[in-house]
Amino acid sequence: MFRWLKKSRSPEKFKNLPELIRNLQDSGDFLHYESKQQDSSFFIYYFKTLVHETELNDHILPYLVEKPLKTLEDIPERVPIPGVILSSDLKEICEKVMRGYVIIRLNANATECALIPSQVKKARAVTQPEVEFTVVGSKEAFVESLDTNLHLIRKRLPVHELKAYEVTVGKLTNTKVVVLYLDGIANEENVNTVKQRLEDINVDQIVDNSVIMQLITDNKNSPFPQLIDTERPDRATSVLCEGKIVVLSDGSPQALIGPTTLVEFFSAFEDYFVNWIVASSARLIRIFAILFSILVTPVYVATLTYHYELIPKDLLGTLVSSRQRIPLPPILEAIFLELSIELLREAGARLPTKVGQTIGIVGGIVIGTASVEAGLTSNVLLIIVALSALASFTTPVYRMSNTIRLTRFPFLLFAHLWGLLGVTICFCFLIAHLLKLKSLGRPFLEPIYPLRVQDLKDAIIRLPLKFQNKRPVHLQSEDTVRFKPVTEKDKNDFHE
Amino acid sequence: MAGPEVKDQYKVSPFLVFYLVHSVQVGVGVMGFQRISTKYAGNDAWISVLAAGLSLNLIIFLIYKIMLKEKGDLISLHHNLFGKWIGGLLSLIVIAYFIAMGITVLRTYIEVVQVWMFPDLNKWIFGTVFLLLVYYCLSGGFRVVAGISFFGVVIPFYLILAMIFPLFYGHFRDLLPIFNHSLMEMYEGVKGASLSYLGFTTLFMYLPFIKEPEKSHRWAQGGHLLTVFIYTIVMITTIAFFSPEQLQKTVWATLTTWKIAEMPFVQRFEYIGIASWALVILPNLCITIWAAGRGIRRLSRVSQQSVTIPILVLILISSSLFARRESIDLLNQYTSKVGFYFVYIYVPFVFVFQYIKSKVGR
Repeated sequence: MFRWLKKSRSPEKFKNLPELIRNLQDSGDFLHYESKQQDSSFFIYYFKTLVHETELNDHILPYLVEKPLKTLEDIPERVPIPGVILSSDLKEICEKVMRGYVIIRLNANATECALIPSQVKKARAVTQPEVEFTVVGSKEAFVESLDTNLHLIRKRLPVHELKAYEVTVGKLTNTKVVVLYLDGIANEENVNTVKQRLEDINVDQIVDNSVIMQLITDNKNSPFPQLIDTERPDRATSVLCEGKIVVLSDGSPQALIGPTTLVEFFSAFEDYFVNWIVASSARLIRIFAILFSILVTPVYVATLTYHYELIPKDLLGTLVSSRQRIPLPPILEAIFLELSIELLREAGARLPTKVGQTIGIVGGIVIGTASVEAGLTSNVLLIIVALSALASFTTPVYRMSNTIRLTRFPFLLFAHLWGLLGVTICFCFLIAHLLKLKSLGRPFLEPIYPLRVQDLKDAIIRLPLKFQNKRPVHLQSEDTVRFKPVTEKDKNDFHE
Repeated sequence: MAGPEVKDQYKVSPFLVFYLVHSVQVGVGVMGFQRISTKYAGNDAWISVLAAGLSLNLIIFLIYKIMLKEKGDLISLHHNLFGKWIGGLLSLIVIAYFIAMGITVLRTYIEVVQVWMFPDLNKWIFGTVFLLLVYYCLSGGFRVVAGISFFGVVIPFYLILAMIFPLFYGHFRDLLPIFNHSLMEMYEGVKGASLSYLGFTTLFMYLPFIKEPEKSHRWAQGGHLLTVFIYTIVMITTIAFFSPEQLQKTVWATLTTWKIAEMPFVQRFEYIGIASWALVILPNLCITIWAAGRGIRRLSRVSQQSVTIPILVLILISSSLFARRESIDLLNQYTSKVGFYFVYIYVPFVFVFQYIKSKVGR
């Protein structure tokens, strides 16, 4: 009855080491041979696809054969590689051999063996960031190898306070996940929340860091991302210094950042590379773009369905003449255009880059012009929809722009139902939803609600760096002071 | 009966009382309180509004005196002062009053929408969606209610700019002569203005949810003063803009003044105003329904979640039953009257009673 339980993949089903090895021999890439010397012999077992064979031949085997092996204890002494262990624990042996260790036994029936690490480390070289490209600033991006990613962060932050807590997640994939934080700066409660949530994960596979993000996020039923992902090591380092927590996982070129706030999704990392006035105006433009992107099509639908009176008569002429041949009500017109933009985007995202560009041109220009000429849509709405699609792409975090475009559709429906009143009600729903959201237990709408004036220095606008001398309040850092601002004693005067 | 114990994580900072007080006051009242006040006080109505407002500062002071001594909410106060049965009955009356306020607010708003925007708006469907929205907010706890009241004040604040346009057409000589009405007429004007000020008595219920309640006193006064300021400005503008006879025939004077606002890209500003007003109404309903639900939860052992749904259904049904203009007006008048006596007679009475009881008890 409970046979399926016994058939679980745990190594306990093997009685002893020889049986384990017999089982492993089912795989074609598992090598096993006996090394025979004059007066001693030993057995070597490893996966050739996991082990660095040159290293094995050049740096491990010569030391084993130079003198006859008496006992297993000789091996750690002879092999000049750190991490050689002796073990008879089947679970450990199984785990290590699957991670690229070489098993060495002295005879074919021995239950104890030596494990020598000799993993092959194949990883993509560090390349330029593609999603978060900036003109100025570092050109390094995270890659799939966890060790490389950790290196990229550690070399930027050479302090012993940087802790990397490791958790293994996923019953099958055994993915290594690392929680990075600065000890004594990051709030302990936040760190424990992340650790706890990672340890509570109970799934068989972790494909990517995005899966971890979905699993540890606070409200799983929200279209809004509650953790930021970045591919820039400099951004990850920078938020670590603020007292945030970074989660890296093996096989994923993205780092998760938390706790975060809504406004952080609208701040590009490039904002810190430019002057504060330029940065602040860029942020204001982005926030305007978001509001524009969500609200403008619903307002068009609401106005043209119910509230013609709102439009002054000079403007009304333009609108009416653009719509006089259109047989569809505004809502269908708007949904038709919004859907075609979504189609274009989806097609462009699925196709290779070069074909994608063609699709964009064909779709954007040909379909747009044709649908206006065919009298399906008004050109005013075409402009509005195209602009709002453009505006949604100004969000620096890719996930957020998806959410923004999705948010538009309930607004459209409400606008069709009750005009501007419907838009407001939908807006109220949105605000209530955002108010309820939390990121790692910290309020998501901070610093606007709860209002924290001190944190506004780096929210909707970014003040000069000398004002950024305190860590954000909402992170509840253990150490709130970043640096002491230099007091400028000599003030400029006209005659000096 | 001891006051409720609220965990720190559910408490909100004291300055939010500013928004909680202000947002629950500004509701449907401000859309048309001018007619009732000017009926008696004429061109001196703005003095009535100002006087009513400033006198309520004293009442807020009394509420804080009572509550800081009690260290609890209205339910525990009633229980401790009047015993289990009479106290419980009084609490029930207050809860009923909160619910009635919710009904008034929702029904009046639906009426405004029906008259000004959508004559054939289905009040059942609209009411259901709106109350669903309220439930969604309430399900986030008091923190979200306070947040909604914060945004309900901050976001629609641009509507105050719409009061600039009538200034161009107003005749401020209409305000003169000042003090040409008797005190009795002024008093009637104060009574008429009071509905638009009511609602801050919900302070009795949510004060335990404020971190360091004693610090929130000045914020409560400040929030109320902002209301007084806005109402006085609106009143002065209205008196200058309308002739007295015209004003008596205008039910929603504020909305009528918005009608003349004109900008290059928009006119008929009242459509935007009424639509945005949903965001002003929402905290009103949230706070009153929260207070009512909280009251019942404290009186009995039912959870606030399970009691909120019946309250919402009750509000939906009873607000939809008021169909005619006269009955809605009557509802407004009665709620206003009850609120008036609650604030001006009951609160000082409780203050005196608590004072005497603490002296005698010793």
